[in-house]
Parts: sequence; C-alpha cells; structure tokens
Amino acid sequence: MEGVGESTLLTLGAARSGRRSRRMLIDLLFIGGLRAVALLSVVTVLAIIGVIIAKGLPTISWSFLTSPPQEGMTSGGIYPMIRGSVLLMLGTLVIVLPIGVLGGVFLAEYAGQNVFSRFIHASVASLAGTPSVIFGLFGLAVFVIMMQMGVSLLAGCLTLALFTLPAVVFTTENAIRSVPESFIEAGMALGLSRWQILWKIVLPNAMPGILTGVVLSTGRAAGEAPPILLTAGIYYATGSLPRGWDILKQPVANLPYHLAEGYRQGGVIPEAIVWGTCLTLMLFVLIINIWAIMVRVRVRRRQRW
Amino acid sequence: MVEPPNALRAEQIVVETHALTVFYGDTQALKNVSLPIARNRVTALIGPSGCGKSTFLRCLNRLNDRIPGFRMQGKVRVLEMDPYSKHTDLIELRRRVGMVFQKPTPLPMSIYDNVAIGARSHYGLRGKQLDEVVEQALQRAALWDEVKDILKRPALQLSGGQQQRLCIARMLAVEPEVILMDEPCSALDPVSTFRIEELMIDLAKDHTVIVVTHNMQQAARVSHYTAFFMYGELVEYDVSKQLFLSPKQKATEDYISGRFG
Repeated sequence: MEGVGESTLLTLGAARSGRRSRRMLIDLLFIGGLRAVALLSVVTVLAIIGVIIAKGLPTISWSFLTSPPQEGMTSGGIYPMIRGSVLLMLGTLVIVLPIGVLGGVFLAEYAGQNVFSRFIHASVASLAGTPSVIFGLFGLAVFVIMMQMGVSLLAGCLTLALFTLPAVVFTTENAIRSVPESFIEAGMALGLSRWQILWKIVLPNAMPGILTGVVLSTGRAAGEAPPILLTAGIYYATGSLPRGWDILKQPVANLPYHLAEGYRQGGVIPEAIVWGTCLTLMLFVLIINIWAIMVRVRVRRRQRW
Repeated sequence: MVEPPNALRAEQIVVETHALTVFYGDTQALKNVSLPIARNRVTALIGPSGCGKSTFLRCLNRLNDRIPGFRMQGKVRVLEMDPYSKHTDLIELRRRVGMVFQKPTPLPMSIYDNVAIGARSHYGLRGKQLDEVVEQALQRAALWDEVKDILKRPALQLSGGQQQRLCIARMLAVEPEVILMDEPCSALDPVSTFRIEELMIDLAKDHTVIVVTHNMQQAARVSHYTAFFMYGELVEYDVSKQLFLSPKQKATEDYISGRFG
C-alpha cells in the first residue's frame, strides 16, 4: 500500500466508480425494459378482458343465458349454444381421456429410448403444432363424409379429441415422469409387477397432473371454432334436443360457432348479442379452468389422507 | 461360532457373485468382485462413497435395470437363482429378496396399505388374514404399538424413523429370505438408528441380511462379516471382528482408522 500515492488511489477509485455507474445504468435500462415488456402483456390482457366485459356485460342476464334465440336469431338468448359447448366438451373428454392417457403411459413407461419412440414423439409434437383448421378439414373429410356421420355432435367430438390428443399425451407423459423414482423402486423391490406398479403407484400419483392437463386442454378446445365449424356446428338452434343417442347424430349450436358465424351471416345477429356471446365464452373457459384447479386440489387432498 | 468366509461350506452360501463387473456407460462401478455370503448372518459392506457397494447390492435383486448405460459381466447367484438369466422370474426373485433403501420410501397411501400391498399381490390375502399379516409384520418391525390405532392414516405423516421401520414391515410382509439394506440408518437419528440395528440382529436369526453402511461402528456392532470395497474392488472380506481388529490390507486399516473416506 505504501508504494501507491494517494492521488493514484483516487484516480483508480474514480475510474472504478465510473465503470460501476455505467454498469448500473445498463442494468437499470435492461431491467426497466423487461418491466415494460411484462407490463405490456398485462395491459393487453386487461384491455381484452376490459373491452369484452364493457361490451358484453349489458347483454348478459339470466334469461340471456337460459333462453333460446328468437326471431331468426336476432333476439333472445344463447342457451342452446352454451349447452352445445358443454356437450362438445364432455364428449371430447370421454374420447380423449382413455386414448391420450394410454398414449402418455406408453411413452413414459414402455417406449424406452429408440427410433420408434422418437418417431412417436415427433409425430405427436407435429400434431400439436398443426393449425386447428386442418383438424376441421380432416374431420369433415373423414368423420363427416367418409364415415358418413354427417355434421354432428359425434363428428365434432371426434375432431376435437384429435385436436386435444397431443396435449393430453404430453401432460400425461410429464405427470408420469414426475412421479419420484423412489416410489417405483420401492414397488420393484417388493416384487410388484410392472402393471401393479403402474396401476397402484404411478397412476394414482400422476392423476392430479393428468386430470388438470386434460380438463385444461379440453376447455381450451371447447373455445376453438375451426375444428367444429365444418364438423358439428349449426347456425339455427332451438331450445329442444333429440332424445337418447340421437343427440350424437345431430349438429349442435355452440359458442365459438355462434361467434364465428355471427359476423359471417351479414350482420344479422345484433352486435350486443355477439359481445354477450363473447363474454359468455370467456366465462365458460374460465369456469373450466377453475374446475381443473378444483379437481387437482381435491385429488391431492385425498392422496395425502 | 462364526467361521471365516473361506471356510464356508457350499450349503451355507445363499448369495454369491463370481467375477462380477459392472459398468454405467464408460464408468466402471465394480471390478471382478467375487463374494460369497453366508445364510442367516449379517454381512456389512463398507467403503468410501462411490466404491460400488450399493451397486453390488442392487445387482442382487436387479434394481440397476432402470439406470441408463448399465452393463454387467460375471456371475450372480441368489437363492439358487440367476437374477440376470432370461428365465428367472424377477417377481419371485424380488419376493424372496427384500430391500430397504437409504431414504425411507413409504408410498403415498395409508400405513395399512403400505404394509399390505406386497402381501396382497404375492399371496392374494384379503380381510382377516391380511390384517394378521400386517399386524405380524408391524410387530416384527417394532412399530405396531405406535401405529395400531392410526393404521388408516397416511404413511407420510410418520416420523423418519417410523417410516423406515414401516418400510421394513412392508418388506417383511412378503416374507423374504434375503434382506438387502442400503444405508438404512443414514437419514435417521441415533435412537431410531439403535432400534433398526437391534432389528437387524433379530432378523438375522432367520434371514440373511446384507447391509451397506458408512458407519463403521454400526458395521462392527451388528455384522458377522464385513466386506471392504474401494474403487469398485473388493479389498478385504473377513469375519467382522477380525477385519476391524487386525485388518490384513493397508487400505483397510487406513480406512477403518479414519485416515480417509
């Protein structure tokens, strides 16, 4: 220390503090930029929700949600569309749950690491990236025309099931992979068979994750218009439904279809009803998400007990 | 009377490896290990971390299978079975060879179901008979008095020491003949450790117990035989008293006197 004069020390200190303040400035700008971008996404979400609520809320009433359209769709409620969306979602759930879960189980536990499993992975991934309108056209070609289902609830559910399949397969696979290895080893050490380990140890532990993922992805699919536009939707809807299994053979009015067609039919549907439908669809998806969370919480709690 | 390992008669040997070599990918975990293990005795496997003792243990019930890159050479014989033969029924092998892990691994189900799951699956027991097996297993694992009124509670609510005894009870319920223990006390407090050690000595009356441990006092207290491993090789194998009081190898002496490891 003695060799260094006081003035040198001062210069060094000044240079260091100069460099430090520059670094701090860069940090400040960078973090500020990040903050601004984060804020932008919040603003966007709030703007969308705000506009839809502002425009849709005046229309929504109990009778709007529970009564059928009247006077050639120009007035009345949207009850059949809500019912149709619920039916489409439940049907999709029933079809996609077993197929998707089995697919995920296979990928996580049995496929191993080889060319075949990589091929399946790639296929499912590209299926996940396929635009939803392609599923719609595929459903039209295969279910509606080739298999002669016609435009119907069944064809719509099958198309939506294909659309949600990749998400269900991947969430199942991830949920199963996140089951601790120690549980599986404990089962193996006890001499349980692979089937028993899967059925009694792996699946019960993966269930909260699987169910949440399945409900979330079918909820998202229930808001998609393209897949059901050509396979299940119908414009004119009445309050009554056919009895029994016939319901599957009939087209159903539903929320996204009603929105998409609302503008296409030359503005027959009054704007207020379109916005009301828009808000209803948003609430519909929100309710499904809350349901998914409740399912997870309930299954978790039962597990701990 | 505990005879030295090289004086063991063929019918006393329950588990035996011959020139066992194991690789994980490019890493060699075991080199040419030949080790005969005596019936109804406690054999301790000691050595520094990564010396291959756990790998050795896991070869006996083939719990290495899920580790990527696992390869083995040499012979393994467990209860007249060859774990690595295609014709061996692994479920039967693992029924007769139980295992307790370092970390207690109760399954996320009730205390009762934890103990019952194996017995139900191997012997198809139900109702009263199953209740009896569960009670006996818990008695033997010295846990019954603590849990008899809370059998329906989740096993994960038990303390660490209780969980480990539960895992022992779960294993005993399937009536194994050989018991593998992979550092069963290293996550436990001294009181729980003491109880598990007592249990090991008790179990060795009618079971062959093989225990991996980092604790040399424990090895000296509970085991009849001790095998010392280093760098994947079996350095010394002898009657525990002999090995701890007058080791023949320099490396063994250094290790047990705490000069490394």
